[in-house]
Amino acid sequence: MVDTINIRDEYDVIVIGAGFGGPVAARKCARAGLRTLMLERSGSVGEKVISGLTIPFYGFLFGPDFIRDGDPPIERPVDGIINYIIKDIEKGDIDIDDSLRIPRPLSPVFALGYNAYCKPFCQWEAEKAMQAGAELRTSCTVTGVMRENGKVCGVVLDSGEEIRCKLVIDAEGSQGLVAVKAGVRKRYPPEVISLADVYDYQMSKEEVDRIFGFTLRFCWGWDEQMLAPPLGHGNGLMVWPYRESVHMCQDQCLRMDKGEVPDLKELFEVYHRNITSQLPWWVEEIAPRARLRARMWEGFEIFVGLDLELRGMPNYTDGMILIGDAAGLENTELCDGVPTAWFSADIAADVAIEAIRSGDTSASFLKRYDERIKAHPIIQWAISGTNRYNLRFAQEKHDERLLKKFIHEGWGLGGFTHVTSPLLQAILESIEKDPTIIVAWLRMYFRYYYNWIHQRYDYSGCKYEHKDIYSRKPMMAAVLFRVALDFMEGLLRLFSPLIKIAARFFKPASRYGNNLVKMLMPVLEPFWKFLLSLEDKMEPATSWINRFIEEADPAIFASPSRRGGCYDQNL
Amino acid sequence: MTRTFEEFPGVEWVEGTGDFIKVDDKKCDGCACCMKVCLAGCYEIEKKKARIKSLEKCMECAACWYVCEKGAIDFSWPKGGTGYRSDWG
Repeated sequence: MVDTINIRDEYDVIVIGAGFGGPVAARKCARAGLRTLMLERSGSVGEKVISGLTIPFYGFLFGPDFIRDGDPPIERPVDGIINYIIKDIEKGDIDIDDSLRIPRPLSPVFALGYNAYCKPFCQWEAEKAMQAGAELRTSCTVTGVMRENGKVCGVVLDSGEEIRCKLVIDAEGSQGLVAVKAGVRKRYPPEVISLADVYDYQMSKEEVDRIFGFTLRFCWGWDEQMLAPPLGHGNGLMVWPYRESVHMCQDQCLRMDKGEVPDLKELFEVYHRNITSQLPWWVEEIAPRARLRARMWEGFEIFVGLDLELRGMPNYTDGMILIGDAAGLENTELCDGVPTAWFSADIAADVAIEAIRSGDTSASFLKRYDERIKAHPIIQWAISGTNRYNLRFAQEKHDERLLKKFIHEGWGLGGFTHVTSPLLQAILESIEKDPTIIVAWLRMYFRYYYNWIHQRYDYSGCKYEHKDIYSRKPMMAAVLFRVALDFMEGLLRLFSPLIKIAARFFKPASRYGNNLVKMLMPVLEPFWKFLLSLEDKMEPATSWINRFIEEADPAIFASPSRRGGCYDQNL
Repeated sequence: MTRTFEEFPGVEWVEGTGDFIKVDDKKCDGCACCMKVCLAGCYEIEKKKARIKSLEKCMECAACWYVCEKGAIDFSWPKGGTGYRSDWG
């Protein structure tokens, strides 16, 4: 018998999983002086994370500061979505909704998001956590938790080793095996799980630049055409341009409304064969130039947020907090779990630090984690969007108007009729905390674009490389840029108390944002379309901005704390 | 030791996973749902019961575990450092 009373906790916090969320929580805990251990079941970080994605801008703006102010490895900025609405593939009857695009010259610097491969990104995050003092053990599968008087007090590894801690943060992904086994939450039903079948095609950068530019392509079509998974079952089909490759994802729920389980093994092959042999732009532009490099798949909890019972499942227990996909925080429309993983990791770390400092990791203390998740405007918006789910009703009635409406409101300009309020609230909350964040956001956009130009992933060595091509000669524009941003930062700091009061005052009004946009849409839509139509006229300005960033000293885009070191040397 | 398969390029499987998925014969009613959702072809039906044919191409998605209404599938993670890996996720 081991006398547990005399056993010292080896760690304050153990984080299960080093995907997108785990390292964020680990880094914050370690920086606060907590003894923190990350446990990852794969041999090296990120190699089991599937799959690549666009991480939307709000993840970077409102997420962890080290990502916003850092240089994470990205594959390509994203400036919009082209939705192909395939009505009759035989006749080539395809409509397009490309209303959600950033007009030039704002695009591509002010991006809607950034595409990334999971492995280098997660490795970069884990590296940051380790630099902050967190320990990482790879090749460690957590099989269960240890309990003492009912309270989680450590983890058990597949080797049989037991590691004690004060608090466990579970970031193991959507399956949540540890959480289910520990009785924190139940297994999700197949209706809310989508299986993503992912293909990675290699293509030259010049061809991806020419064919896609910075724009994602989504395809939606009537189910009977068998071009993509059924409407309402998942993504239909998404194609992401990367740096030197094209990532394609088709996904379908494991079951619909307690119906028959579909034969996905056969269906995915049919969809993929049909789309790659019938879709005109794939056949003409992609097929002759692309080489299939990888195929993989993973399940994710697409519709958990829309089921009140599942949404209400606990995300914490005595001594344990669930974050990201493990807590069911997948975006129900954009199918992107990264921003919510980052937000929840940040919140979990804050709560962990408070709990450990106050010596209370009981469920009643950790309840504040759930309260903060419920108060987070972007998380709550992300898990509430119904347009993807509702596509099934357009299919049922074969209603083209309804189909286009859902697509427009989900992945077109109409999205602003439901994202404006949470975005405004998040912006005002951020400004209320620190008004100078506005300058950090601006620097981020410019720096990320600089990195997109200068970073290159070395596929053989699996690491990112930086190549400097800027002239060290001082450029007048760069000097002005630096002075302007420093001046703006100074002003924001000077008037910080006033700005904070104003942000607090206007915050309640953000709830009217969605309705206001709805009201103004008849004017906004044509205006936005007009801006987009000026692309050719804006070309000189766009080229000038892009060239300025490409040739500038990257130090001018770095956050002041990192000025001396230029950009991140630890890629 | 790692293995690759032509039908799934860009992915490697590190050997030594152990039997991380098991089917309970007593609970299995042979509905074959696990077989339908398994893109790796891990399952087969024998005498109206699902059985694991091979886990060598399993991508650990747990689709089989989700769809098994009878709770006949015991799904756990493979041993640390084993199972699938990819640079292209």
